[in-house]
Amino acid sequence: MPAEDMGKLSERLRLTFALSTVACVLVLAISPVKDFRAEWKHYKRSFVKFAQGRPDTKKLLADYSLSIDQVWLPGMNVTDRCTTCHQGITQPSLADVSVPQPFRAHPPIPHNVRDWGCTVCHRGQGPATEVAEAHETTLAWEQPILPAHFLQASCGSCHQADLTETPQLTRGRELLTRLNCQGCHKLNNLDRPMLGPDLSSVGNKVTREWIYKWLKDPRTELDKDGNVSVNGYESGDESRMPKFRLKDEEIRAISAFLSVQKAKPIETYKINPAVVAAWSKKPDLISDGEVRFRQMMCTTCHPLAVTRAGETKLIGGNIGPELTKVGSKVSEEWLVAWLRNPQAYLPHANMPRYGWSDEDLYKVSQYVMDKLTDSDLLANLPQLGAATNEEVKTGSRLFTEKGCASCHAVNGEGRQKDFGPDLTALGAKNASELEFSKAKIDHNLVSYIQAKLQDPVAVNPAARMPQYIWSQPDLEAVTTALLSQTGPPSTSALQHLVVPKKDVSFQVVGAFAQIYERYKCYACHRFNGYGGTLAPDLSYEGSRAQKKWVADFLKNPQTIRPTLTLRMPQFNMPDKDAAIAAEYLSMAVQKPDIDPESVDAHQFTPAMASMGKQLYEVKYQCQSCHTIGATGGYVGPSLNNAGNWLTPAWIEAWLRNPQALQPDTIEPRRNFTEEEIKALTAYLMTLHVGIKPETSKSAASTLAVAQGVSR
Amino acid sequence: MKAKLLKTAPLVCTVFCVLTLSGCKKTAVVVNPDAAFGAYDTEPDWNDSSKLVKLGYQESQGKRVFYQYCVWCHADATPAGPSNRSNVTPMPPLLNDGEKLNGESDQYLQNIITLGGSALGRSAMMPPYGKTLSPDEIEAVIAFTRVIAQPAYQKPGRPSSQYTTKE
Repeated sequence: MPAEDMGKLSERLRLTFALSTVACVLVLAISPVKDFRAEWKHYKRSFVKFAQGRPDTKKLLADYSLSIDQVWLPGMNVTDRCTTCHQGITQPSLADVSVPQPFRAHPPIPHNVRDWGCTVCHRGQGPATEVAEAHETTLAWEQPILPAHFLQASCGSCHQADLTETPQLTRGRELLTRLNCQGCHKLNNLDRPMLGPDLSSVGNKVTREWIYKWLKDPRTELDKDGNVSVNGYESGDESRMPKFRLKDEEIRAISAFLSVQKAKPIETYKINPAVVAAWSKKPDLISDGEVRFRQMMCTTCHPLAVTRAGETKLIGGNIGPELTKVGSKVSEEWLVAWLRNPQAYLPHANMPRYGWSDEDLYKVSQYVMDKLTDSDLLANLPQLGAATNEEVKTGSRLFTEKGCASCHAVNGEGRQKDFGPDLTALGAKNASELEFSKAKIDHNLVSYIQAKLQDPVAVNPAARMPQYIWSQPDLEAVTTALLSQTGPPSTSALQHLVVPKKDVSFQVVGAFAQIYERYKCYACHRFNGYGGTLAPDLSYEGSRAQKKWVADFLKNPQTIRPTLTLRMPQFNMPDKDAAIAAEYLSMAVQKPDIDPESVDAHQFTPAMASMGKQLYEVKYQCQSCHTIGATGGYVGPSLNNAGNWLTPAWIEAWLRNPQALQPDTIEPRRNFTEEEIKALTAYLMTLHVGIKPETSKSAASTLAVAQGVSR
Repeated sequence: MKAKLLKTAPLVCTVFCVLTLSGCKKTAVVVNPDAAFGAYDTEPDWNDSSKLVKLGYQESQGKRVFYQYCVWCHADATPAGPSNRSNVTPMPPLLNDGEKLNGESDQYLQNIITLGGSALGRSAMMPPYGKTLSPDEIEAVIAFTRVIAQPAYQKPGRPSSQYTTKE
């Protein structure tokens, strides 16, 4: 090669190397530039500018440095760099909504960010330093930030017991229990499942046509405006039996199978013919039956459609099934047997065993069979005829295949275990683990759960899950509760954070045990944390109420709270039962630190009582909430009969600190002096009304406002 | 050999650049969260139930306390049906009554809830809740009052910062 060519080449080579060098330097410079322009540094610098516009600049910038901040809690597996951008999180002066994000302070919550980090509750990618990576789903991280609306799910991951601060989570758990989701799915830390009725003898109770109709056209419907109706009446309550997607021949087969289930014959009861003869011709038989039906407070537990001012509405409780058309459902023979002894047909029934006279039994059953009916209910059904062997065989197979057996037992066969997928770790699932099928929804866990709940086949055409009907708040509550099912904690340190549920049980002994079971006190009342929440908590009833008052009340319940509908049924309890119950309550169901003997009512003088009256009416104006005579407020119980009702020791303890006796009571704790407490107690003990008011005086009230409703 | 180097050098450089720059690509899949999910909780506007007022954590705690303790006298409908408001003289203000409550400072409201009406020379029918509710709970109720107030509540003091950050 000639020299000049060599020279040319080396020149070109030099040029190439020069260009390559420049390119290399540029490429190497990308990294520092990128670092300089990092998103988090932008927020860091913005915060300085922001703080300079605030009056407390110095305080806001006390910990400032242009570096990544992180909360590192090795024991809890937390490395959260969120505070790099969310720099004002612990600054109370930045709490106002006018402060732009990401600088706003965190609202005051029981957990401190330095001890807990952020992702324990909010999820997201803690170590990320970019906005999108920290908050959203990325290819490498599939636990995005939990939407604020479902944040209570995180509380539920550790707090297995209900918290007052998380009503949405509590409601969701209650729904999961009430709807018996545990029939098919495995779920963590819920109350014991409530099962659907045992169907072993259902053929004695209803006809094949009724079963066909029930499965064909379930009572609960959702109209196009999203209103839930039961039997055509609007209702705010959810129905427990969802709609299954069954073909006509499947419904025929299942109805055939169930209609031949007659394990236990009906315990037929013959009402005294003299009573029947005397009443059957009276014109007021049905209306009298209705009066007794109302007096027995059936609607405390059972909803019923009533028409008032042209508007039909469901009224009544939601413990038992809706009864509007029950007369077209069951036979009279079955009804009479059921009313006398519900547990004979259904051992786990929560229905109390009332004391029935033949007269009441006849009147009420006639009323139910005559008025609570719908002649069109079973009209327009195809001819089903008697069940054939083949239909029964198919029905038996379908009963298991379709999941009926998950909630309903037949012939003592236990329910199927784990019919549906295990949901104990659903809340921690990655979006890539979920089957979205062709559903046009966002590919994230929250959207998936909501879509699945609203229409199970939308996300999985082969789903066996039946169709439930949700109001928007209930849908959100159930979603929250499902999101809280995050499975066992990932580390042992997290295991220590779990706040387990207290095991509650209430054991009664002796003669009272039979009364407690017979009248199902626990269906509505709570004892030491066990039982229903519809009616007042009776854990300390023996300290609160005088024994004689309890016995009288059980015989003839009266309203204590003026505005509320009386719900305590009239059980027709024999004197003996009432006496045993009153004795047991006053002996064994007490607050240990209240000594009923500690206050002697004889020490009260008329002077003290008149001072108490003065305090009640003028200084403390208790009449804003309590009624005495005909005047006063509706919030607290009426005190008209306080002298017969309450024990003086209870009144004094209550006035000292109401929340110590009933934590969720709304009566505020006040600064009474001991002298004032004595005077008020003396005054209240002077309040008496007639001990035995007539039975049907008013259909008004007794429900613990404070606990039943406000929950 | 050198000619070969000459030919490959730019190619190597390009490949190097492309590989380096490819690291800059964003990998995040951005999902737009539903707007309603952004609110911790909501409360229907008392005068127009079709509108929802968004509540933050503190306000939602205030809502909870309100519906347990205050609703009986400071609302016309209660979870148990009729309200006690008309039984009380003078009639207590509705909690969303901005005309009456917007003029009162947070401190004043905190005092009257804590100490009761008689301590501040107002009606003794308002009992003191200082020993029943925590200061945080009382603050939360006040925050709830402010957010549902009609007409809307304006915070006193300096106008909020003009500064806004990139969302």
